[in-house]
Amino acid sequence: MKNSTWIIIFSVVIVICCGLWLLISNSSYSFKIVGIYQNGELVERINLDTVTEQRKIILNGDHGNNTILVTNEHIKMESADCPDKICVKHGELTENTTPIVCLPNRIVIKFENSNNNSDVDIKAGAAG
Amino acid sequence: MLILLSVATVFSACSFDEEYGSEFFAMDTVMTINAYGKNSKNAVKSAEKEILALDELLSVTNENSDVYKLNKEKSLKLSEETVELINRGQEISNLTNGAFDITTEPLSRAWGFYSNLKNHIPSKKELNKAFRGIGSEHIKINKNTITLDKNTFIDLGGIAKGYASNKSADILKKNGIESAIISLGGNVRTVGTKPDGSLWNVGIADPDDNSKEIGVVAVDNKAVITSGGYQRYFEQRGKKYHHIINPKTGYPAESGLKSVTVISDDDTLADGLSTALFVMGLDKAKELYQKSGNLFDCVLITDDNRIFITDNIKNNFSSEKDFEIL
Repeated sequence: MKNSTWIIIFSVVIVICCGLWLLISNSSYSFKIVGIYQNGELVERINLDTVTEQRKIILNGDHGNNTILVTNEHIKMESADCPDKICVKHGELTENTTPIVCLPNRIVIKFENSNNNSDVDIKAGAAG
Repeated sequence: MLILLSVATVFSACSFDEEYGSEFFAMDTVMTINAYGKNSKNAVKSAEKEILALDELLSVTNENSDVYKLNKEKSLKLSEETVELINRGQEISNLTNGAFDITTEPLSRAWGFYSNLKNHIPSKKELNKAFRGIGSEHIKINKNTITLDKNTFIDLGGIAKGYASNKSADILKKNGIESAIISLGGNVRTVGTKPDGSLWNVGIADPDDNSKEIGVVAVDNKAVITSGGYQRYFEQRGKKYHHIINPKTGYPAESGLKSVTVISDDDTLADGLSTALFVMGLDKAKELYQKSGNLFDCVLITDDNRIFITDNIKNNFSSEKDFEIL
């Protein structure tokens, strides 16, 4: 084969690989996997894309109950018995946000492999 | 075959060296440590152990802690770490002319800013009672024996996380880690650079919407610590009352700043100064920066959304908004 043919084949392969890599790294799919943790242990992992019916998850801790509301594409702390309600005030978990944290009942809700496009490695000033 | 080979090459480019991360609760917040390189698991586990041990010593509410016992007994011989931190607290109090003070425990208590209390606006009488023991002059240090005046109670919470991140970074380095990032409830400490040798990009939470960043500072081997009224507050009759109490007035500080980020090699100093500068306001913060040489850098955000940064970090700071040199 001529050199130019090799160059064309190689270029096509590079383009396919770059395309694949972009697809994997930027896939919105990875944003939608959410992990719910209590005391550092995984309680449940949910793919928000596959949620068809709204449901509630109730977790019990030292400071009463927390109610997590899961809907298609969204998750938030709907209510909490803890005194400060910081987790409820947090609102919905969004792609670039910090995790939802309930300190009194030691609950963390966060995106798994949140492979966002941001160049930021970590954020100062926001717990979690 | 060629395609498979190329795909494998792309994936191998994405694969990382050994890394280990841990997330755990301590000091009333959530903490994460991520370290890269050989021995990262052991290093992170040791750092985590150190933080949990410091939490046991420094907690204001744990009945077995040095701080709890000292507040109760008023004169005690304490562990080296607690004494070191009390000394650092006194030093930062002197440096900031009392804008940071470890004796403000009764004020935070009066406002209900402890996890076992309910927030409320204290009466004048309650505040006057709280003021009786406030001020660094109420603490006497004789080697490892600390003595507090009768009405004095200390809380090292304003510098404990900084102290803990400093200790953790030292432990990681002793274990051969050259690249790590630590967040103790939003108090950030970087060890070395990223595994690829570039600087760590630390976002600064937007005080109006902390799911976003208002700017990014690129650093290596530094603590980046932010204090803001948005972090903990309660609302009563339509007004917000935040947790950073001015030791002079007894009320939440209203200095015209809504967020202060301090960047320094010294985490404990950065932690204490982020609170102090928030209390002091823009002009006094500038004065302190100018007279303290290169002890620290900072990013200040005013209530009217102006951003000020120190000259040293101008090449490492980026923001979509305009910023000015302090």
